[in-house]
Amino acid sequence: MTNKRLLTLAAGAAALAFSASGAMAQDSCGSVSMAEFDWPSGELLANVDKIILEEGYGCDVQLVNGGTTTIFASMNEKGEPEVAGELWINAVRDLLEKGIDEGELKIVNDGPITGLGEGWWVTPKFAEEHPDLDTVEKLLEHPELFPYAEDESKGAFIGCPAGWGCQLINANMYRAFDMEEKGWELVDPGSAAGLDGSMAKAAERGEPWFGYYWAPTAMIGKYEMVLLPFEVDYAGDENWNGCIALAEQDCEDPQKTAWTKSEVRTVVTDEFAEKAGPAQDYLSKRIFPGEIMNKMLVYMQDEQASGEDAAYYFLENHEDIWTEWVSDEVVSKVKEEL
Amino acid sequence: MEFFDEFPTMGRSDLRDLKKAIDGGFRSFSRAYGEGLENFFDPLLHFLVWFERLLTNTPWPIVLLVISGLVWLGSRSWVMVVGTLICFSVIGYLDMWEDTMATLAIVSVATAICILIGLPVGILMARSNKTQAAITPILDVMQTIPSFVYLIPVVMLLGIGKVPGLLAVCIYALPPMARLTNLGIRLVDKEVLEAATAFGADYRQKLFGVQIPLALPTIFAGVNQTIMMALSMVVIASLIGVAGLGVPVLRAVSNQYLALGLMNGLAIVALAIIFDRVSQRFGQRMQAHRDQGAGH
Repeated sequence: MTNKRLLTLAAGAAALAFSASGAMAQDSCGSVSMAEFDWPSGELLANVDKIILEEGYGCDVQLVNGGTTTIFASMNEKGEPEVAGELWINAVRDLLEKGIDEGELKIVNDGPITGLGEGWWVTPKFAEEHPDLDTVEKLLEHPELFPYAEDESKGAFIGCPAGWGCQLINANMYRAFDMEEKGWELVDPGSAAGLDGSMAKAAERGEPWFGYYWAPTAMIGKYEMVLLPFEVDYAGDENWNGCIALAEQDCEDPQKTAWTKSEVRTVVTDEFAEKAGPAQDYLSKRIFPGEIMNKMLVYMQDEQASGEDAAYYFLENHEDIWTEWVSDEVVSKVKEEL
Repeated sequence: MEFFDEFPTMGRSDLRDLKKAIDGGFRSFSRAYGEGLENFFDPLLHFLVWFERLLTNTPWPIVLLVISGLVWLGSRSWVMVVGTLICFSVIGYLDMWEDTMATLAIVSVATAICILIGLPVGILMARSNKTQAAITPILDVMQTIPSFVYLIPVVMLLGIGKVPGLLAVCIYALPPMARLTNLGIRLVDKEVLEAATAFGADYRQKLFGVQIPLALPTIFAGVNQTIMMALSMVVIASLIGVAGLGVPVLRAVSNQYLALGLMNGLAIVALAIIFDRVSQRFGQRMQAHRDQGAGH
């Protein structure tokens, strides 16, 4: 009984001391707006950053929800949000380089998550039943294996929702591989929910599904989707950045190419880089191993955890990883909060 | 003290288990019956596809002609016909013809379904207070539940595309039809009904001969509401892959293309105005006949 009371007292005192130090530290970091990208790993990463920056560095973090193009446009034009933790730069490479040259933006982490990849995937059951169709090119000859519900004479290729960078890429790849002539229909799933739903539905029922996705994600891990390699090689940056990644009207003659290597960066605005020195060190050091990220994502989906719930779960259960990113002082501050 | 400071909750893990149980239940339901349900809706899908193809593949002058004809039949007003022709020509000229036809197809079918279901439901509700009390909360849920919430199970069951989109539109657009039919019939003067009863009219005769005709203005208000809501819902339905004007609007929102969003948004407005004016005129004409009949 007395022990318990003592503990409560101690915790209370610690909380008081902590909030005082938090308030003091806030002066040095101030308020920060961070992008919370609207896919699960983006949500998790943003919330882990939020907790560590708030508790450990005394920042006052606001999360801004959005997709790659929206967030990046706002960051580039208005300097808001100030931090993009998981920016998939393929879609915005030219603009990003320009922003960096002009001193507006700064890359602080070259790979916040390891083991990434985008591309075209099929359901495991299909891959098992058709071991001969093990590359994109071979599969493209058989649209009849993926009948499109709204036009059974065509094969359905599920592309990427409008507004994501990958939508333009898929549309141009669709043209580069002459998929229309081969009898394919590029289906717009409409939204992330539509894309996930169509894959989940097919995988749950053992139906064939062919479309775009990326890893590491809970969807890929959970349904054990199979990534199809391309037979062609990567046809160079000029083709990719100068054509494939652009809007259709800006890409006259897309060449066949393998998918470009996916690159993710943590990007901050110049203003943030100036005001938040130590917090920026943290951002440059935090690297999620792909395998752990995958596990976290499956956890998020199974437990229906929000980004915030998952962030707490991550901090509680993967201490060995995040304690490497920060100083001992920060570790103890964050641990107090858990 | 803690009890008063914080609302007692179920507890994190129990709550999670509850959610997981609901999800697991739905998942196995979808595994067991999803395919059957999908097959059940197959004829609807074929009809929708056929209708959309009909609209997009027919040469545009013929489509314009038919639409003007329908507008004339509905409104008997040259102003309406000319206005419609101008609207559709501008839409076509700004390269929104195919999307508009896709939207037109799904909205027409959705409106027809909503009227076919909503009218009898409204009549049932008007018949007894108990039925009304039972159905009203269902209509409340249909109308106010955020569309994303029911898009999730719809996508798991039926996938993405026209049929789940049509269902989403119908769920959202049906309630006003039922509500206003119910209201219209209930507002019919009791004395008129007594008179009809005195003349020996049975239930059917009273319903079709007295109540529905007298309730027509309200019923038509319901039809208008349904059309408007179907049109606005078409944009949301594009989130689950329904082709039409919603897709460019969605693309415009996520990419900040002002012109694209504005043009396609205005095309939806144009469709809404045409639908609305024609159905209102049609309703007014039907009532004009009634007034003449009463005058004789």
